[in-house]
Parts: sequence; C-alpha cells; structure tokens
Amino acid sequence: MTEDIDFEIDAEDLPQRAGERTLGSPSVIVDDLHITYRVFGGRRGGTTQTKTSLLNRAINLGRPDSGPITEVPAVRGVSFVAHHGETIGIVGTNGSGKSTLLRAVAGLLPPTKGRVFVSAEPALLGVNAALLPRLSGERNIMVGGLALGLNAKEVRERTQDVASFAELGDFLYLPMNAYSSGMASRLRFAISTITTPKILMIDEALATGDASFRKKSTARIEQIRDQAGTVFFVSHSLGSVRAMCTRVLWIDKGVLVADGDVDEVCDAYHEFVQGRKDASSGAKLR
Amino acid sequence: MNQQHGRAVTQRLTSHEAAELAAAHGLHEMGVRPPLGRYVKSVWGRRSFIWNLSASRAYARNQGSYLGQAWTVLKPVLDAATFVIIFGFIFHTSAPGIDNRAAFIVIGTFTYALFQSSVMGGIGSVPANLQLIRSHQFPRAVVPLSTALTETMLFGPVMVAMLAVAMLTGFLPGMAPVVPDWSWLLLPFAALLLAIFSSGLGLVFARLGARTPDIANVLPFLLSLGRYGSGVMFSIAGMVGTDSWFRPLLLHQPVAVFLELFRSVIGNEPLIPMTPNLWLEATAWAVGVFAVGFLFFWGAEETYGRD
Repeated sequence: MTEDIDFEIDAEDLPQRAGERTLGSPSVIVDDLHITYRVFGGRRGGTTQTKTSLLNRAINLGRPDSGPITEVPAVRGVSFVAHHGETIGIVGTNGSGKSTLLRAVAGLLPPTKGRVFVSAEPALLGVNAALLPRLSGERNIMVGGLALGLNAKEVRERTQDVASFAELGDFLYLPMNAYSSGMASRLRFAISTITTPKILMIDEALATGDASFRKKSTARIEQIRDQAGTVFFVSHSLGSVRAMCTRVLWIDKGVLVADGDVDEVCDAYHEFVQGRKDASSGAKLR
Repeated sequence: MNQQHGRAVTQRLTSHEAAELAAAHGLHEMGVRPPLGRYVKSVWGRRSFIWNLSASRAYARNQGSYLGQAWTVLKPVLDAATFVIIFGFIFHTSAPGIDNRAAFIVIGTFTYALFQSSVMGGIGSVPANLQLIRSHQFPRAVVPLSTALTETMLFGPVMVAMLAVAMLTGFLPGMAPVVPDWSWLLLPFAALLLAIFSSGLGLVFARLGARTPDIANVLPFLLSLGRYGSGVMFSIAGMVGTDSWFRPLLLHQPVAVFLELFRSVIGNEPLIPMTPNLWLEATAWAVGVFAVGFLFFWGAEETYGRD
C-alpha cells in the first residue's frame, strides 16, 4: 500500500518547531479499533521447503499447511482521543500498521471491530492517491478534484494552479504514463492539496521530488496544517516528527506502545530502533 | 504489551465512555452505512464525478492500439460476423419466419454486448477501483454506476454501426432488405432502458464481486447461458414449441424482452411488431431491477474497501 521510503530531508527544510497550541474539544475518538486484512493463497512451503514425494503431496492436497485464506491483523485494539489544535505524529517500524491506522481513521478502510468518531470529514493527503495512468494530467486533475468533493467548476478554476505548482508545463496534456516518476508524484501531491480539510492526514507526503520542490511542498503542508484543526502525520523521519508534532503515537505490530510527549516517545522509539537486531517485523500472524 | 517499554499509555476509555464523549461533542461515527435517503442524495450530489470518471474511462479504453477508438465499433462487428456465418448460413433454419436472419443476429449481438459488458464491468468494479476507494471518501455506488455509464457511452457509436451493418445485411443473398424508418428515432430510448437495467444488475454483481472474487469465474458461464437462453442469434419464439411450459419464461425474461424491443424498433420483421406492452414490460424490468440493485449495493456500503 504505502511505500515506506525514508525520504531524505534537508535540515534547513525542516519547518520551525511547532509551538504549543491550546487544546480544543475532541475531534477524533478511536475506540478499540481492529483492522484485519484477508489475504488469499498465503501458504507455507511453496518454494522454501524441501520437496516431498508425489504421494505425500497428493495426500496433503486438501490439507495445506495453513488455509487458503490468511488473516493479517494489521491494527489490534488501538484507542485514543485527539483534540482540535493537535498535530499528532504516528511512528513505528515498517509494517507496524501506521498507514492502515491512518486510513481507518480517515474512514477509507472499514474497521473489522471497534469504532471511529470524527467531528468533520477527514482527508488523506498522500502521494498514493489514485490516478488513471492512461489519462492526461489535465483529466486526472479533474477526476481527482471531483473525488475530493469539489464540483467541476471549482476544479476547472484551480487546474492551472495545480499544474503550475506541479511544474508540469506542456506535459499537462500528455497521458500520465509518459511522466517521469518525479512528475507523477508532484502531480499527486498537488492534486491532494487542492482542498483544506478540518482533519488532515499526511502519509509520507512530505518532501517529494527534488530539493526545490521539497521546499515548496513543505511550505504548502505548513500552510494547510495551520488552517486544519487536527493533523495526523505518519513518517519515518523522526526529525520532521519532532519538528511538526505536539504529540506522538508509537505503533508496533498493530498495538499502541506509547502515546504522549514528542521528545519522550521519540527518544524511546529511537532507542528501540537502534537496539533492534533484524528488520523482520510486520504484523503478527496468528 | 502496553507497558513493555516502560511508558504508560494514557488511560484508555471504555467503549461506553468513548461513545458518550463523542455524543457530548457532536462527533459522528465513521464507516457506518448512511440512511437510504441521505445516500441517494449524496450519490446524486456526486453526479458530475460519475460523469467525468465514466467519460475519462471511455476515452482511455482503446488508447493503447493503432486503431484506437475504432475498436469500440470493430469488436462487436467482428462478433456479429462470427454469429452471422454460423447461425445465419450454416444453421440457417434456426430462425423460422424471420426474413433477414443476418440483421436479426446483428441486432441481437450488438444489444447483448451492452448488457454483457455492463454486468462484467460491475463485477470487477470494486476490486479494480480499490485504490480510489481507499484514497477518497465518497458514496461507493459511484464506482459501479460509472462503470456502467462508461459502457453506455461507448454504446453510442456502436448503435450507429449496428444500424449501418443491419442495412448492409440486406444485400446478402436471401436476406430481406432493411430500410430506415421513423421508429429508429426511438432507439436511444430503448438503449437507455437497457442501460438502466444492466447497471442495476451491475450493482448486484458489484456487491457480490467485492467480497467474493470467485463469482468472476462463474459469470462467463451465466452470460453465455443468457446469450443462448435469450435468443441472441436464433428465434426462441420459432424454436421452442408452443405447448412447452418454459416458453413464457424464456419469452418474458428481461434480456429476451430487451432484444425483442430493439428488434421491434428496427421494425424490419413483420413477426416482431412494436407494441406498447413491450415498452411497458421493458420499463418495468429496468426500473425494478435498478431499484433492487441499488438497495442491494447500499446494504453493504460500509464494507467496500475492506480486504
């Protein structure tokens, strides 16, 4: 789903340390959230195990090592309350369930169990927004803008802004599969920042493209962040989490490990990552 | 687990307290199915999204080939040619009383193609648009509806080609001529009814296909059963005995009704006259199936996007 790329962030591009903002009323309440993915055809022994005889295989045909459907619990019982005026960072290793949690809170992944309450419709800002590769950038801006809930007239008014922000030039009229990957991700970023939502979710969206575009996109995020009530921010970069957030949630294997002050949680997380011997983590399979 | 790193997680609310807190501050729950009235309104509010998505898809459909959009028309023509050769000339007794078997088959094949592609599109629509569903918040019925609308838009030029090919069949040996008639102006309305009917069925299959991808493997069999059971390339009325109990069943099932309607609009066969009853029957099927399909799809609204 999300490519867990640790984007390089230049120190001078980091925004100013977020000041304490006064907490408002609750904006997001997550109550015992569980998300379980169903995966078809997960089975041990496809290639890694030693070959068994044909007879054995024939006998075991109906009894594979694990069922044809594997359940992957990505988020297991997360609860928290977010308030207006908070910027909440979500940290965790690859596959710990950060992006899944973010999507569930945004209402894009229906919870398997548990409930999510929100004060306004959250919007996900990410470089993963769905675009149709065969269509021109222009048409994609229209479809993307409409998907975000604007009407056709509003999108038409903003198309030129989006295109110039994404630095597309004449490529605006070419199909997206002719774009370089940088161009495509710049366009995705520009499309997803058309609107300013009350509750904003940022999924690794910071710093796409080259240095000059990174500066521009960081400024854009800050601008949106200042207007949004509550911001959730998923990142691998502890530097930007420390700089932007007022509170941090640490998720590991789908469970909330820590929730609290930025420096305290970031230090503990840093210690944990340094102490980790191997990179195998991911959701815990039953 | 929560304490393993020596850091306390803030006191967790019980579910009851969470619900109370949410109510006290006027928060609403995410991921619950909206009531039907609000849902219909929100789908209607997204009509320009549906329209744009469909138009974009229709435009992108055949872009990867040299002939491009021409394939939209060429594919059903080739389809029709196959059936005309086999059922028009080899099994030429399959449509007794029909003056122009080739035109009969051409109209049947083209019409069935719209039905088939809408249903096939519907079944894959949720998995194919998972990325879109997981990136944006919108009533999910937008997805199967826009898939069906794409097919309907593409049917516009196909319909013109159908008329042209039907007229050409008049020059084949042994086939009666097909001449333009005022009734041809009714063709778009017949197509509209068929599109409404097909998108209703598409909505049903979209829900089934969203959670059970296996249905996609069974569908081709159902569709070819439908093709032969509705008389796409032979005449049910002429082939099934008048005394058999399943004759009315075959003649009044929706796909057969729509084929009959299209053929009566072309109006070249004295055996297939246009009657108000035919229009009423087709309208009833279209509206009824669409309403049922919409309700059925809405029934699982909160689950789309889950794996």
